[in-house]
Amino acid sequence: MSLTRRDFLKYSAVAAAGASSVPIFKSAMAMGKKPEKVVSHVTTFCEMCFWNCGAIAKVENGKVVKLEGNPANAASKGKLCARGNAGMGSLYDPDRLKHPMLNTGKRGEPKWKKVSWDEALGFTAEKLKSIKEKYGPEAVALISHGSGGSFWKYILNAYGSPNYTAPSFAQCRGPRDIGYLLTFGDGPGSPEQIDLANSKFIVLIGSHLGENVHNSQVQEFVEGIAKGAKLVVVDPRFSTAAGKATWWLPIKPGTDMALLLSWINIILQEDLYDKEYINKYAMGLKGLKEEVKNYTPEWASKETEIPADLIVETAREMSRYKPRVLIHPGRHSSWYGDDTQRSRAMAILSALMGSWGREGGYYFPTKASLSLVYPGIPDMPEPQKHKLSGDWPYAIEATTTAMRRATITGNPYPVKGWIANGCNVMKTLPNQKETIEAIKNLDLMVVVDILPFEHTEWADVILPECTYLERYDDIKVSKGKTLSVTIRQPAVNPMYESKPSWWITRELGIKLGLEAYYPWSDIEDYLKKQLEPKGIRLETLKEKGTISFPDTANPFIAPGNEPVFNTDSKKIELYSKALKEKGFDPVPKYKRPEAPSNGYFRLIYGRSPLHTFSRTTNNQWLWELYKENEAWVSAKRAKAMGLKNGEYVVLVNQDGVKSNKIKLKATERIREDCVFIVHGFGNNSKDLKKAYKKGADDQGLITRYAVDPLMGGTGMRVNFVKIVKEA
Amino acid sequence: MPRYGMVIDQSRCIGCMACVVACKKENDVPDEHYRTRVVELVEGTFPKLRMELRPELCNHCSNAPCVYNCPTGASYKREDGIVMVNKKKCVGCKACIAACPYDARFVDPRTGAAHKCTLCEHRIKEGKEPACVTTCLSKARIFGDFGDPQSTVSKIKADKHIRVLIAEAGTKPFVFYLNPEPLA
Amino acid sequence: MKEISVIGANAITYPHLDIWNWTIAVYLFLGGMVAGLMVLGAISQFRSKPLTGEGVSPASCYLSPVLAPILLSIGMFFIFLDLTRKLNSFWFYLNFNPMSPMSWGAWGVGAIIPVSVLWALASIPEQYRHYLKWPKLQDFSFKLSAYRNKLAVANFALGIFLGIYTGVLLSGFVARPLWNSALLPILFLNGGLSTGAALLVLIARDPKEKLFFTKADIALITSEIVVIILFFYGQLTSTAPHVDAIAPFFTTGYYFPFWIAVFTLGIGLPLALVLDVMEVAGFAKIRVHLSAWFVLIGGLVIRLALVYVGQLSSLSDIVHR
Repeated sequence: MSLTRRDFLKYSAVAAAGASSVPIFKSAMAMGKKPEKVVSHVTTFCEMCFWNCGAIAKVENGKVVKLEGNPANAASKGKLCARGNAGMGSLYDPDRLKHPMLNTGKRGEPKWKKVSWDEALGFTAEKLKSIKEKYGPEAVALISHGSGGSFWKYILNAYGSPNYTAPSFAQCRGPRDIGYLLTFGDGPGSPEQIDLANSKFIVLIGSHLGENVHNSQVQEFVEGIAKGAKLVVVDPRFSTAAGKATWWLPIKPGTDMALLLSWINIILQEDLYDKEYINKYAMGLKGLKEEVKNYTPEWASKETEIPADLIVETAREMSRYKPRVLIHPGRHSSWYGDDTQRSRAMAILSALMGSWGREGGYYFPTKASLSLVYPGIPDMPEPQKHKLSGDWPYAIEATTTAMRRATITGNPYPVKGWIANGCNVMKTLPNQKETIEAIKNLDLMVVVDILPFEHTEWADVILPECTYLERYDDIKVSKGKTLSVTIRQPAVNPMYESKPSWWITRELGIKLGLEAYYPWSDIEDYLKKQLEPKGIRLETLKEKGTISFPDTANPFIAPGNEPVFNTDSKKIELYSKALKEKGFDPVPKYKRPEAPSNGYFRLIYGRSPLHTFSRTTNNQWLWELYKENEAWVSAKRAKAMGLKNGEYVVLVNQDGVKSNKIKLKATERIREDCVFIVHGFGNNSKDLKKAYKKGADDQGLITRYAVDPLMGGTGMRVNFVKIVKEA
Repeated sequence: MPRYGMVIDQSRCIGCMACVVACKKENDVPDEHYRTRVVELVEGTFPKLRMELRPELCNHCSNAPCVYNCPTGASYKREDGIVMVNKKKCVGCKACIAACPYDARFVDPRTGAAHKCTLCEHRIKEGKEPACVTTCLSKARIFGDFGDPQSTVSKIKADKHIRVLIAEAGTKPFVFYLNPEPLA
Repeated sequence: MKEISVIGANAITYPHLDIWNWTIAVYLFLGGMVAGLMVLGAISQFRSKPLTGEGVSPASCYLSPVLAPILLSIGMFFIFLDLTRKLNSFWFYLNFNPMSPMSWGAWGVGAIIPVSVLWALASIPEQYRHYLKWPKLQDFSFKLSAYRNKLAVANFALGIFLGIYTGVLLSGFVARPLWNSALLPILFLNGGLSTGAALLVLIARDPKEKLFFTKADIALITSEIVVIILFFYGQLTSTAPHVDAIAPFFTTGYYFPFWIAVFTLGIGLPLALVLDVMEVAGFAKIRVHLSAWFVLIGGLVIRLALVYVGQLSSLSDIVHR
């Protein structure tokens, strides 16, 4: 089913007819009919999270009144999650950043002055020029999340800095991507290239898919279990997914590696792996076998506190369904500092199940590609210095934390300007003290955002970006089983003085003397000239919202579709010589995590299906449904401590950092050794009137972090908290 | 004559709450009020736990206590089974709210009138499904016409073990529940 | 133990029903008391002498017929306060729904007020008729006095209806197990008669009449206590939601006022009994009044308790009790 223009007209007509039949004042209005509602439907893609589902905005008399999924979208199939449905809550948030503003006070103690765009961008350009002069262009870094980021990356490129960072690497899925890359020569992709709908056996390790609503993936996940897939959920907390599971393994936090290595050991010992597949595509089986032979189920049981027979049973069951076994790669994986190796263990287990490139396992994304470039752009300047990715050999991106360190220490070179786009740095980076210290060292802090999150307090200049419903962005090219392109276009005009990033960066670029990089007259020209050489009409795309190229799918290993592994050996590396040469473990090893001391709990965190990090906490319709997070504590321990379900408590971490007050959820649904809270709450920005001081901020309690020696990921589950009654 | 209603496959519900928000925006439901909800029930003690996820809404009962308890005829049942409120006749006595075993009603603070799920009758008219069904990520909500023996919902009702909520109230609901336990 | 969380709950129904407050209880209390005035007033009218001469107790003669429409109107005012769409109230009288107690109530009270006003006019003794301002009204009152007994019969019947109705209003909700008991209308009728009698004890001037209503109350309180016990027994031996519905009365919490009410009634009873046995009248006025006050307070508190606790009861498995 797809929506055609005629359908839109039909809907509009029906809606308009409905409006005119409302009898209020009908007779009283001697002048004639009540003015008819003007209804239109505008296709776009969602930005309530990064999954970017196809959406259609229903606009009535210039107001977005409803958002629905675009049925033409191959991934989201006409469906939107709670947040997607609540998109208007961002658009019509009364607390939005409305005007460009300059801080005339001190940094961190702002006195805001409303200024014109010209003045705000003039100020920013002057500062950027002077930083470039004094320290070189690489002294400016971007920290970004979201679709507008591509324009900022572009301007940074043109300006000459390689330092475009995103928390999605070191604070999120970086370790996983590298772990898979080291094993298969390729990451699991984003969205993950997993064939959940056809799996027969699904393993979630620390993933709470369902509460973590990645729309299309949740759809596939449910399809899989509805079709009878067995499900193992490894999680210290009885998540919604655990509620669907055949086996819930309430693992002791931090011991996932022990379980994985034991599973691998059992599968190898009992010859349960996919022999044909391993013989054909993998190397290092012998080395692997040797390295894992001591990880017996009995040993693992002691480490993980999962009964040994359950470890054996699940290993055997899993093998029965190979290759239709999906060890879900997870997403946020920066937990304990050995995360790349843990992800590698998951990749190795997947390989033993033969599920890479197999139906019900991992699929190959389409080989078709579409590179959209505006013709005649001059070459970007070659950066003079290496991007800030630390000393970690597998930090393939400029890394937030390396960039922050450089800002504080000036090593390997100073960073003097930050541009934060769509990313509340206070809530994304561990150890807020370090972040503040870094910001204090800056010559320029630019915040480009839609709402006054905490980090706007630290800005020198605020550039109010408009929401996704008011703007164009770059065309989204998605590579799943098929190739598709999706457009973002404004449903309504930008409110207040907010502007889209494409406009802001272009104006700033011109002020920086980078006109050559901005030859387009307007955004439609910019998009049109990229699309037209590929045979896509902008008008068609605007109407349909998304265009898929379905003939490009070839997702599974088949005769004539042999897999390519971009590893050193061109095979799946069960044993990594590359790692050994660099002094790392060629096969993952277990390291026992530090245990919480008496009276303390390990702090773990996750998501609510109603929120995306901190950015939706002020959204009327999501706030209403989930206003504040709760501290999940084992009912048994709560009772022992004399704490009641629903009472407010304060969490205090090992370094004495106190949280805002938080409601206690005394529950059977969690182990006794940890406390779980939903990420993104406890907002300290007074200007977010609904979210202010609601719940507790996990990031504030994450003062310690364990750095992954392979790629610089920041393991954030290494903090301990005690529960104190609210004074 | 159609007889509209819903089947909810609980084994599919993942508690994403998309339905709750979609309903709210589709029907301009007042702040802090809802026409549909998702109930999460967990039983047992660690680590032996069971979870039930249960989307709830007006059951559009055949023997609707809200209708027979309404003194003014503001609450009424359409021939197609949909229970509606005629705002103009409502006096705000709240008898319907007390009468509903499913707690599916509330007072709209903007008008003072009783307010409830209409099964998105305005969408049905346009040949669309209710907003909660359209957006349901997991396809747990299945809308249809029980008057048509060939419809998906009729077939499920004929073939599967289904239950209704609070059957003992004798309300003859037309929201049926399937698979309260997970399948896996 | 179930752990329940609901996303998308309405405050009016979750964690429990929260639609009616003290105004409804006061309405039910006054409605019941008026029922008592109508029924007992009619009875005592038949027992007393014709409306001539001095020394006739105004309580039975005219005060109870006069108070009935006034108190009922006050009660109506309280329920009117509770309506959230007051301007639409006329719709009560554009529709009759035989299954809706509220509809019966609207029409019933609509009939009771004029009939009780007529009775009041008919009952005004000659010597007080000049208080009626308009001569035409005085004439009307005089003409009506001929129909006084017929009006009393009508008021007796309508009083029984009113007393029952105050209970049916709540008992007709299948969704609320505490209320959904056929004994509730009987309990409310009984209670209404008993509070009506208590009020008559207080306003009667003739000590013999006070004694008569006190005696009436002894019977009514006794049967009320029996009905209360049977009501609880009925709940206890019914389905689980009914059993759960009475639990708040038996756990420490906010609901012990109910027991205060029963206790109060219990004090009222022995006090009245003592008087009855002693056949004392004049000099025991304080004690007679005290017992009547206990009955009135007990009657009000029972209604408050049932209105509030009934809203905690539910058939649903998600409501917190």
